[in-house]
Amino acid sequence: MISFSLSDEQEMVRETARKFAVEELRPRLRQLEKGGIPDELRRRFHELGVSLIDVPEAAGGMGLGATTAALVHEELAFGDPGAAVALWGPHLATAAVVELGSPEQVARLLAPFAAPDGALRRGAVAWSETGKDLPFAGMATRARRDGEAWILDGRKAFVIHAGDADLTIVFAQIGDGWDGVGAFAVTGRERMRAGAASRWLGLEPVRAGELILDGVRVDEADRLACDVARLRRFFARAWITTAARQVGLARAAYETALAYTQDRVAFGKPVAHFQAVSFDLAEMHMEVESARWMVWRAAAELDAAAPSAVESAAKALAHANQAAWRVADDAVQLHGGAGYIKDFPVEKWLRDTKTLALIGGSDALAQLVVAGIGFGLPESIVQPVVT
Amino acid sequence: MISFKPSAQQEMVKGLLHQFSATVLRPITLEVDRTKTFPDDLLLRMGQMRGAMPPGGGAASEEYTGVERKEPQKGPSSSNRFTMVASEELAWGDASLLLSLPGPGLGGPPVRFMGTPEQRERFFAPFKTGGLHWGAYGLTEPGAGSDVSAIKTSCRRDGDGWILNGRKCFITNGARADWVVIFATLDRSLGRAGHRAFVVEKGTPGFACGKIEEKMGLRASETAELVLEDCRVPHANLLGGDELYQRNEGFMGAMKTFDFSRPTVGIMAVGIARAAFETAREFVREHYLLARPLPRYALIAALLADAERKIDAARLMCWRAAWLADEGLPNAKEASMAKAYAAKIAMQVCRDAVELLGAHGLEQSLLVEKWYRDIKVFDIFEGTAQIQRVVISKRILREPPSF
Repeated sequence: MISFSLSDEQEMVRETARKFAVEELRPRLRQLEKGGIPDELRRRFHELGVSLIDVPEAAGGMGLGATTAALVHEELAFGDPGAAVALWGPHLATAAVVELGSPEQVARLLAPFAAPDGALRRGAVAWSETGKDLPFAGMATRARRDGEAWILDGRKAFVIHAGDADLTIVFAQIGDGWDGVGAFAVTGRERMRAGAASRWLGLEPVRAGELILDGVRVDEADRLACDVARLRRFFARAWITTAARQVGLARAAYETALAYTQDRVAFGKPVAHFQAVSFDLAEMHMEVESARWMVWRAAAELDAAAPSAVESAAKALAHANQAAWRVADDAVQLHGGAGYIKDFPVEKWLRDTKTLALIGGSDALAQLVVAGIGFGLPESIVQPVVT
Repeated sequence: MISFKPSAQQEMVKGLLHQFSATVLRPITLEVDRTKTFPDDLLLRMGQMRGAMPPGGGAASEEYTGVERKEPQKGPSSSNRFTMVASEELAWGDASLLLSLPGPGLGGPPVRFMGTPEQRERFFAPFKTGGLHWGAYGLTEPGAGSDVSAIKTSCRRDGDGWILNGRKCFITNGARADWVVIFATLDRSLGRAGHRAFVVEKGTPGFACGKIEEKMGLRASETAELVLEDCRVPHANLLGGDELYQRNEGFMGAMKTFDFSRPTVGIMAVGIARAAFETAREFVREHYLLARPLPRYALIAALLADAERKIDAARLMCWRAAWLADEGLPNAKEASMAKAYAAKIAMQVCRDAVELLGAHGLEQSLLVEKWYRDIKVFDIFEGTAQIQRVVISKRILREPPSF
């Protein structure tokens, strides 16, 4: 049955996340931008328990699935998109283990995050690389067998929590092409080196950078299953997370612009009462809502294991990325000169939305996935399309 | 629980209507667009199909099936969501035939929401026979479209009846309707409080059809001008009786119709956009450019991916408004957003579809040129793109910001 009803549990979780976002994150937005996330804030966030929302119950989490997680991501990003990403300790390692891991691996690898002392533990996913002429699947990092273990060599880029992560899911080529991609769970902070830190356009509280793997040894027991179907679901989970954050960011920008334009007077009345402004506000509102429903649909489909879930997630990502950029840009515009200075938060959100869009799977990739599926996708993630 | 999967029953009807649209409506869609006439037996059959929808499963179905509730719908139902699923499929087949379906049409909601039990019984009676009967909604005038409160059609009490004078325009099914809900004003200086709604029956002396409009699109749908000249209407046809207007609910009745009609109009635009998108997708799949299949060009692939995504988003906006209505929650803002958003994206999709087909896009037999003409009115009727933004922005400036 088509329904937009949240369960009582979801309402409660959303309310908790919203309260935290409004009271703890929004007022410290600039402070977090400059100084990053203090440990005491991480501990307070951990106590809320919302970061364990999609950690399976077997590993001590709440097991509430992607839909409830999307509600939480939206609320946290409504408070501050940078904090929303940085505070989420396990990061996408949870999504990767949930989709690629066996029940034993899920319980073993994710339990430390759910433990009472898990507040400062971090997870990471090392997927991206830089460089030209990479092999088709896009990776130069290799994994070679050594008896009962694997040896990883290579250099990963744009890794959130690089060097700080207690659990890093490293993707590397075992063989050629997509079918040759392997996923490895590397535990501990000491076995890999952090390279140059990334300095980004936005999302300042997030620490990220290069990750260097010099013969990192991983037990066979820590190799995750990595077939294309599972990889797609992992990506879907990651895309939904980013899309939900974009919705929260867009909602923040919209509401801030709504308040500002009702307060700012020009030509004798609040500028919101000019149709040139109020029509923009109406468009912004529609963008936010449509993006939110796209996210909810994708998450609900993923939770129901519907075959369309991956495609819906790609659509949600493309839609939310575009909607959020448009809304953030309009919000800056409606503030006029005030929008460009740091006394107001909207300039930050315009930087954050582009950053989110580029670290969380680009619109272009999502569009190709949608088009590829529409035209009958072979067993690859993206059908090559000529530019 | 959050879910976007239609119920099994809805899926069944969707499948049935899709089949009907593909095999019966599509083959004649171009012909009815040219001739603006269509066989009565087809409409009868369509009417029966609507009647075949399960009772309780259609906002409108109670009027068609004769299973009318004693009281207007209160509390949760699924009828609006059902209408969404069904209307999208029929509009995918032919939107103008959907608008021509026998039934009370837009006249239904004001009779249902404003009418007394006696009036509901009397005016819905003709539709229970399953024959060729229509109702219509007469609000728009040559000088009053978006500004509904500016209507000039006058009404004055005269003994046990009322005398109506004025002109109505752009009335869907206006000439063939058994009755039309006519909105008139007692005294223009009273503004909205002076509005009265009457059910004016076909054949009433002084009530005549002016011209039938020639339109750019949706040509098989009848759009009529109606003229009231000293037209005498019995007091029993004043919708809701005197009591309703003492509560000052006349104007609200006119507006409440839109809470139900706008999401439906939105989902019709989605159906048309989907038709255009699917046709374009099939076309590019089969065509080559410079020895390469068209979908292998990123530009083409991106256009199609964009179109499909926006269609999905528009559908969800319509479903959202319909779900709120089903839950008995206020949905005026969401209904406007659904209509405004769906019309906007459907315009883009139909335009892109024409372009994707290149010169073939102009060819009538491929239908995209027809959808390109049909879709434009969705930006205009049931409230223009502009007035929707007025409605939305007035509400967002008034309501608490958080959602």
